[in-house]
Amino acid sequence: MAGVWIFAENHTQGLELLNTGRILADKTGSRLLSFLWHDHQVAEDYLACGADEVLLLPPLEESQPLEAYIPVIVDELREGDADIFLLAATLRGKDLAARIASRLDTGLCSDCISLKLDEDNTRLEMERLVFGGAGIQKVFCSSRPQMATIPPGTFEAAVPANSRREGKIRELPSSPATAVKILEKKAKERKSANIKEARRVVCVGRGIEKEEDLAMVREFAQVLGAEIACTRPVSEEMRWLPEDLCIGLSGIEIKPDLYIGLGISGQVQHVIGIRDSKIICAVNSDENAPIFDVADYGIVGDLYDVLPRLHEELGKLL
Amino acid sequence: MDFRLTEEQELIRSNMREFAETYVDPIAAEIDESARYPAEVIEKLAEGGWMGMPFPVEYGGQGTDYLTYAIAIEELSRSCAATGFTMSVHTSLSLMPIFLFGNEEQKKKYLPPLAQGKHIGAFALTEPGAGTDVGAATTTAVLEGDEYVLNGTKTFCSNGPVADTYVTFAWTDKSAGRKGLSAFIVSKGTPGLKVGSHFMKMGIRASQTSEIIFKDCRIPKANLLGKEGDGMKIAMNCFDHGRIGIAGQSVGITQAALDESINYSKQRIQFGKPISKNQAIQWWIADMATDINAARFLTYHAAWLKDQGQPFTKEASMAKVFCAEMAMKHTVKAVQIHGGYGYCKGFKVERLMRDAKITEIYEGTSEAQRMVIAGTVLR
Amino acid sequence: MPEILCCFKWLIDESYIRASSSGELDLETVDYKLSNYDRNAIEESVRLQEEYGGTVSAITVGLPDSTKGVKDALSRGPEKAYFINDDSFENLEPSQTAAILADIISSQINYDLIICGEGSSDLYAQQVGPRLAEKLGIPCISYIQKVQIEGDRIVAEKKVEDGIEVISAPMPVLLTVLPDINTPRIPGLKDTLGASKKPVINISKDDLTVSYEAKIHTNAIIAASMERNCQKFGSETEDIANLARALAKEGVIK
Repeated sequence: MAGVWIFAENHTQGLELLNTGRILADKTGSRLLSFLWHDHQVAEDYLACGADEVLLLPPLEESQPLEAYIPVIVDELREGDADIFLLAATLRGKDLAARIASRLDTGLCSDCISLKLDEDNTRLEMERLVFGGAGIQKVFCSSRPQMATIPPGTFEAAVPANSRREGKIRELPSSPATAVKILEKKAKERKSANIKEARRVVCVGRGIEKEEDLAMVREFAQVLGAEIACTRPVSEEMRWLPEDLCIGLSGIEIKPDLYIGLGISGQVQHVIGIRDSKIICAVNSDENAPIFDVADYGIVGDLYDVLPRLHEELGKLL
Repeated sequence: MDFRLTEEQELIRSNMREFAETYVDPIAAEIDESARYPAEVIEKLAEGGWMGMPFPVEYGGQGTDYLTYAIAIEELSRSCAATGFTMSVHTSLSLMPIFLFGNEEQKKKYLPPLAQGKHIGAFALTEPGAGTDVGAATTTAVLEGDEYVLNGTKTFCSNGPVADTYVTFAWTDKSAGRKGLSAFIVSKGTPGLKVGSHFMKMGIRASQTSEIIFKDCRIPKANLLGKEGDGMKIAMNCFDHGRIGIAGQSVGITQAALDESINYSKQRIQFGKPISKNQAIQWWIADMATDINAARFLTYHAAWLKDQGQPFTKEASMAKVFCAEMAMKHTVKAVQIHGGYGYCKGFKVERLMRDAKITEIYEGTSEAQRMVIAGTVLR
Repeated sequence: MPEILCCFKWLIDESYIRASSSGELDLETVDYKLSNYDRNAIEESVRLQEEYGGTVSAITVGLPDSTKGVKDALSRGPEKAYFINDDSFENLEPSQTAAILADIISSQINYDLIICGEGSSDLYAQQVGPRLAEKLGIPCISYIQKVQIEGDRIVAEKKVEDGIEVISAPMPVLLTVLPDINTPRIPGLKDTLGASKKPVINISKDDLTVSYEAKIHTNAIIAASMERNCQKFGSETEDIANLARALAKEGVIK
């Protein structure tokens, strides 16, 4: 019965996997099956968005960790003779994936950022980042199911089909008790400057001449609803901003929707930390600065002259 | 010949590097600016066993060879030449003479706290009128009963203001020429021992330097190091050891200058390209890297000779003069590569250039090293 | 008192990696290091030993010339090391490493607790820990930020996307630790000198009883490059307005 199977922790991730899973299922001429545990209400939605079958995992007890599903999922994959199994690369998802792969004695591509089928539409050719982002490893899996974990946000979410899609919803048996128990769940405290998760980041580099000038950048960031960050020289040499705001190799890697680099030359050590940004925008007075090679949009001009007007123009749109 | 370091030496190098990056780099600019003694770093060095490297475990040391010690000084100095120098003076000029020339009782008493870094050692030889010309010193030691009475003023005493134990030199018999100088151990707090004025230096500013004044300073007879008249021999031996440390320090300074220059020249864009694409810059950097290699081998070779029990006076002087002059030459180039920025506070090369200058002066000027070398090769 | 086993990997220091002009990664002139995350694993093992007593051993799978890595690991506190090595142990994929470790651990080593880094700083596949636990048939708590021992159970704070799960599991158990669980000590001189005197148990391929074929195969590792719009504007007010509109069109300003 083969097929493409997916598992995600939440709805959005589920839709993202459905999107890519549907393409793979169509190409391989097989079915797309999705496990679902978090919200059974969305089963119909999953069908509309491309699933051929939704496998409902029964709710877990408070003390049961997600891994309680491992035996059930493994049985399903085995029985269904799955060809491909994709999981959202959340922390729990990655743990689950490695353990399922071990039980099925198959290979797993972790944090897969790109995947496509080979010419015969059988083997998945997958890519992932290695060496702190310096390299792309191209891999394939020689055993079945071919497994991969996929970082949330890698693919667009699927949208419901125009025409009504038929599909099955099936309830899976409940999970056996686990030796591992959850004693307590603590919700995350929101930190004020969590640049790792910020949707917008304004980053300053050596082009900023004086520490006082950061005030102007802060105002700009505030209008944008952005967090402020910096390059290594600004935190390490100038010490104008704390080191935990430093982006790049041995600093923080970010993936905001919008990154705006001000007075940043674009050394590779820094660029590694911003490569996953959706849109990179840079302001630099030197039109040959390497940052422009990795930016979607750049303004060649004096930062001190450009920033007030950029502030104004963006302000109009917000 | 085997040019490889041992795995242990490589690990020790990377551990010292990590230590320096963690504890020294973040404060190096500040302690330079304020000429502050980094007591907290010295304490951490002591905890890690770095303050008594090349001494036997029975005296509180770690029993490494001298080469490993030179490597550690190099890596520490790469982050802060002043901190590297503090460790070098302590080890080569204070612990070493007590270890090599002290009797068992002295070794048991003085070495363990020094080697464990609980005490800091200093070396007081230079006097206002006696620099390279050691024989022009005027400090005297007169035996009265069971005590020597010291009188005189020492200057440029490195670690002077922070030391617990001083190795110093005074005439016991001025008429005996070179054979009349003797070496002594003096403890902090001895009545008549006074730390005089501190010197505000151009570079290695975090290293503490002062006058040391002996005024009717009475020390037990048992504090004589070696025999009466051994002073000159002990002083010269100290320098042989110290020079390897200074050579290592100079390599560390130049390596830092190279690190900074590579980094900066790759990121500094002029005329539409990084300045590292300019041949002038490339040649300077190539020369820098080449000289560092040569300097490192001279230093390691001198240390290796010492570890083999071979004479190493000439090689230590060669390493010292070569490394020191290299450090000066290339830190000037590093500033040039950085242009106007290199001339300003906040860029490391500015500090490196000031720090480098002293390596040509202390523990025997470059001219004094050439005297030593010429003396051996023209023999 | 727990018997703790920590796993480590000796690997290429990524800061030495450069892209060659042809887009390949130049791995010729690299240096090696102890995987960053494994430093946390070793530190946490030693910290637990300081708190609860017991023993700490380290284990690795690698090339025979990784002896420096074994010394490095030992300089960080473990009393002894198991060094499974063979010339063919280059570029093992996670399922292989886990199979080899599991084979040796289950047949030769007593343990109450196994601690791994969350991933390795070269490939960062984050699989060896959980796979090893599966092979050994013991519970696994991954991505932990805090751990303590309560009687014969482990209580650990596991990071998940929406917060923390406090998890309890009976020993023996395997943990994978996040870097923020501790700050690894920098080995002092005495630690490094002492490491050479600690016992290293050499284990060869002949001692293995299982097969471990690769399931994931690497076709190539190429230098990562970013493909971007690379659209440049001038600094006239009209240019800046155009840029603002472009950002709005991308949906990142709204």
